[in-house]
Amino acid sequence: MESPYAIEMLNITKRFPGIIANDNITLQLRKGEIHALLGENGAGKSTLMSVLFGLYQAEEGTIKKDGKVVKINDPNDANALGIGMVHQHFKLVECFTVLDNIIMGVEPVGPLGFLRKKEAREKVLALSKKYGLDVDPDAKIEDITVGMQQRTEILKMLYRDNEILIFDEPTAVLTPQEIDELMQIMRNLAAEGKSILFISHKLAEIMAVADRCTVLRKGKYIGTVNTKDTTMEELSAMMVGRNVNFHVDKKPATPGETVLEVSHMTIASKRHNNNAVKDVSFKVRRGEIVCIAGIDGNGQSELVYGLTGLEPLTSGKIILDGKDITKASIRKRSTSGMSHIPEDRHKHGLVLDYSLEYNIILQTYFDSKFTSGIGFLRRKNIREHSDELIEKFDVRSGQGSITTARAMSGGNQQKAIIARELDKQPEVLVAVQPTRGLDVGAIEYIHKQLVAQRDAGKAVLLISLELDEVMDVPDRILVMYEGEIVGELDPKKTTQEELGLYMAGAKRDEVNV
Amino acid sequence: MKKLLKRPGVQAFVASIICILLGLLIGYIVLLIINPQGATESIFKVIQNFFSSKRANLRLKNFGNTLTKTIPLIMCSLSILFAYKVGLFNIGAAGQYVAGACACLYAALGWGWSWLPCMLLAVVVAAIYGGIVGLLKAYCNVNEVISGIMLNWIGLYTANTILSNVKETASPYTLYLDKENPAALLPNIGLDKLFNNATVTIAVPLALIIAVAVEILLNKTRLGYELRATGLNKNAARYAGMAENRNIIMTLMISGALAGLGASMLYQTGYMRWECTQSSVPAMGFNGIAAAFLGGLNPIGSIFSSFFIQHITDGGSNVNTNFYSSQISDVISSVIIYLCGFVLFIKLTMNRMISRSEEKKGEKN
Amino acid sequence: MKKFVSLLLAAVMLLSVCAFASADDLRVAMITDYGDITDQSFNQTTYEAAKAWSEANGVDFLYYKPASDSDQDRISSIEKAIDEGYNAIIMPGYAFGPAIQAVAPEYDDITFIALDVSEGDIGDLAAAVPANLYCAVYQEELCGYMAGYAAVKLGYKKLGFLGGMAVPAVVRYGYGFVQGADAAAADLGLTDVEIKYVYGNQFYGDADITAYMDTWYANGTEVVFACGGGIFTSAGEAASKVGQKVIGVDVDQAATIDGLYGEGITVTSAMKGLAATVNTQLEALKNGTFAGGKVENLGLIGEDPDANFVQIAPSTQFADSFTTDDYKALVAKMFKGEITVSNDITAEPAVTAVTVDYQGNIK
Repeated sequence: MESPYAIEMLNITKRFPGIIANDNITLQLRKGEIHALLGENGAGKSTLMSVLFGLYQAEEGTIKKDGKVVKINDPNDANALGIGMVHQHFKLVECFTVLDNIIMGVEPVGPLGFLRKKEAREKVLALSKKYGLDVDPDAKIEDITVGMQQRTEILKMLYRDNEILIFDEPTAVLTPQEIDELMQIMRNLAAEGKSILFISHKLAEIMAVADRCTVLRKGKYIGTVNTKDTTMEELSAMMVGRNVNFHVDKKPATPGETVLEVSHMTIASKRHNNNAVKDVSFKVRRGEIVCIAGIDGNGQSELVYGLTGLEPLTSGKIILDGKDITKASIRKRSTSGMSHIPEDRHKHGLVLDYSLEYNIILQTYFDSKFTSGIGFLRRKNIREHSDELIEKFDVRSGQGSITTARAMSGGNQQKAIIARELDKQPEVLVAVQPTRGLDVGAIEYIHKQLVAQRDAGKAVLLISLELDEVMDVPDRILVMYEGEIVGELDPKKTTQEELGLYMAGAKRDEVNV
Repeated sequence: MKKLLKRPGVQAFVASIICILLGLLIGYIVLLIINPQGATESIFKVIQNFFSSKRANLRLKNFGNTLTKTIPLIMCSLSILFAYKVGLFNIGAAGQYVAGACACLYAALGWGWSWLPCMLLAVVVAAIYGGIVGLLKAYCNVNEVISGIMLNWIGLYTANTILSNVKETASPYTLYLDKENPAALLPNIGLDKLFNNATVTIAVPLALIIAVAVEILLNKTRLGYELRATGLNKNAARYAGMAENRNIIMTLMISGALAGLGASMLYQTGYMRWECTQSSVPAMGFNGIAAAFLGGLNPIGSIFSSFFIQHITDGGSNVNTNFYSSQISDVISSVIIYLCGFVLFIKLTMNRMISRSEEKKGEKN
Repeated sequence: MKKFVSLLLAAVMLLSVCAFASADDLRVAMITDYGDITDQSFNQTTYEAAKAWSEANGVDFLYYKPASDSDQDRISSIEKAIDEGYNAIIMPGYAFGPAIQAVAPEYDDITFIALDVSEGDIGDLAAAVPANLYCAVYQEELCGYMAGYAAVKLGYKKLGFLGGMAVPAVVRYGYGFVQGADAAAADLGLTDVEIKYVYGNQFYGDADITAYMDTWYANGTEVVFACGGGIFTSAGEAASKVGQKVIGVDVDQAATIDGLYGEGITVTSAMKGLAATVNTQLEALKNGTFAGGKVENLGLIGEDPDANFVQIAPSTQFADSFTTDDYKALVAKMFKGEITVSNDITAEPAVTAVTVDYQGNIK
């Protein structure tokens, strides 16, 4: 009898010191279905996938492929079983072409060791036609859009004849239009008999594309439901364990005087000869949240770097609380009342191999509270301070203050950063994609914190790529396109469609902010 | 047992021991291949080093010799590991060692300074020499390995030229410190009598104190916090407003100072004289790399690993030359030192084995 | 039986007088200086001689290589040998001076044989050399003389002397070489023999010295006496480029230099009798006739060239103009005093037939 399941993970249990990452989890992926795996950060999704890929070995439970028990000791075993994955962060060689990336590792080689690229190209073109995956095989990765990079990753799996395709948070980096395209691609793939596992915490997407959805919470298996028979509210309740408020509750803003004033900021790009930020001017006042919206790569990152001192300005001026900080050091800006929740918490926000308490004091370690006169760390004060913030901001970890940051879930890492940055009592909070990669519970929490800052009379500059966030959280929206601010919108008066037009460069105003 | 093995400290220790044993085993096999007759005797003599002396006073004296040569190795391995903790590979430690040797010997022989000023000058000069690598890295983005290697050679030939002014006329060696300027010899503080060996000096306790000081500096101070943060995540350090360039320069200066102090602690004992015609950088700086890794990149571990490496190197001259040519001693000690570099690999293998055996247990349950 | 007892008694008496080891318990150890026993120079020559003698006489022999090039480790190796029961220690090279000063007085029951170690090398011990220490130095001017004489006789007219550093031994070689060349030129009635004379101021060759030698050879120099450690590499390299010759030093360097720079490039070598010294002293130890307590200046002991402590190498490119018989005759005359060679190094030797161009130090 042929099994209806492509892959089954039955009663999987995986423990780490101090934590059960997967507690008796069962996931059954039918052939030809799109199956969503839903859960908060730290719910155990990544661990479960790592077990499937042979990166971890489960203590208990079995994995079946087509009804037969298989043993997956390492990623090679997983590949041999036809399991492929599109990672959240693409594994592509930037300076290689799309074709080179697709065939890398499984290059067709003639008897003399020469590559048979023509053969490979034909196969890739055939695949891309069959599934509607539009790519240019000869373009270099560094020159193509994120969406095209993702399609390259998908082609990589198809080229290897993988039957089971895993998409790890695939929409996080895409524009709304690209998301729609991806959904269509996934449907095509499923129709051709591929089995798809779709890891996400975006309920709307799951409802739109998935056939069934398995929900995990805190390492436990909550249940599997047909998306036809459920609602977003039900799914989110399963995921979080309570009802979640999707809408950000906030009173109308009461803006005060200007705290942050940027005039004619221009910043050179590191990637191309053009300026990344072109003559940008704006103001942020006390008691308001200003959001800079835009598709990734339109100069938002550079704008933040210039604002926080990580990159020098080519020209322009920054005034913080009446003081010119255009040439001030990063440290000076920080002590003058600017907090910065960085875009990439692993790259900038945390020293992953430091303990949580050492990360908590990353911006204030030099304070006399934490360092004695002759330069010794005051470990007792550090611990007390860290414990206090952990409590106040509900940062969860295996061992409290001494947990290595690396061992914490993404959401809790972000909470630790927010705790650190808000504890500084900043005049201006620069929050860059503060909810990136987080689950609804954490997102709700962070949005509340931003609003609380605003209500406490502080200025908040939010940089976001998420349309929901852009519409919900701020009091004003500035849209950035190709390094320029092309529009100022009132979130209460605009629509997602109008916003999308500005973000895509199809519409622009002369903005004098 | 399993729990114990999972602790990183214990793992580093066990991995080091495994490396040592593997090195000895391969060394033994090499001996067996060349000539099985004297292999066992020789390998034991290598391990014994000074313990193989029949006379007690010689044992002590040779122990003193090994100790004196261990000190600069400890300092060099501290130098390497300090920079390594900050994410820098200071292969220039060898050149900074040379700079220190040159400074203290010239001050002692050319200017007749007494020991402490000589030592301090060695530290300062070596720190500056390390600082050059730091400056190049911080402001010109020159890889510290490249500039370090270049400066090693520049340092060597500069030292040869400078020290030629204070060398014996008939030999390429610098003048005898004990004859020219005994005041420049490090004080013995009674250790010479204890070891029956005039070259055992204050350098021994001093090096141990410095190893502890490095441990404290790295782990308990604000500077250590900053430097390690820079080493672990340069971007985060920058984001937190740490002066990245200053930290790089400071790190390499401290690293250089440690290496330079090591040189002073050898040359100012009178154990060695500088050979003004040498055409290769003293191996001390490079052996420091092996010692640092064998010591699990821990300052206290460095003390033991350095002693072991020196012990084996000295013991190498014990192989029976009736069966083996004397170069075999270099081969044996090199094999062992080489294997010392595998500590991280062994650690990895060990972890894998532990998790495998746990799985099996899990399956049984 | 009686005869045996009396012999035994005599032996015991001899032992008590000399207090040195007899052949029965003689154990020989050699310590290498900073080089190795494959250095094709001092260490190798000494090692081979001591090993051959020990094997022939059924005596224990072992060599030790110090852990590093330092007095402390040389002392350590000597003591290691003593600790392991060796009672005759052979040390080739002046580098052992300080080590000898440390060990000779302390271990007065051990015999120390030091080669090429002069009074200046052993410091305070020179005033009263301990009875257990024998140091040998060599009359380098004699073999230098022979080499210079042979070179001119063999038809070379443009000679060069490349010394290592101007230390006494090297200067004696050089001045002897000048005197020998002068004598041969006078014999042949030549007036056009020229000698260029320089010190490299180091005991190894490098690009600078090679360049200097290139200039010499380019300007007509035919053979250079490369005298001092590894400096022969510069002379050999320069000579090989233009097909000219060199003269080796200390030991028979023909194999070494020819091997590096081409067959037949080595005309001759001015040799010290290291092997002869080792043999003589070990033989004396065995026979109980060892006489220490001195620094002996070794030179000619007879008319047989091969038995002397200074000679030119058997590999010399003898020819009709200078045959082995001519060489023997020369040695005989020198031994008998018919030819005298000045060992004065305070002034340049007087010459009658050749012109010497003293060029000082290269660097």
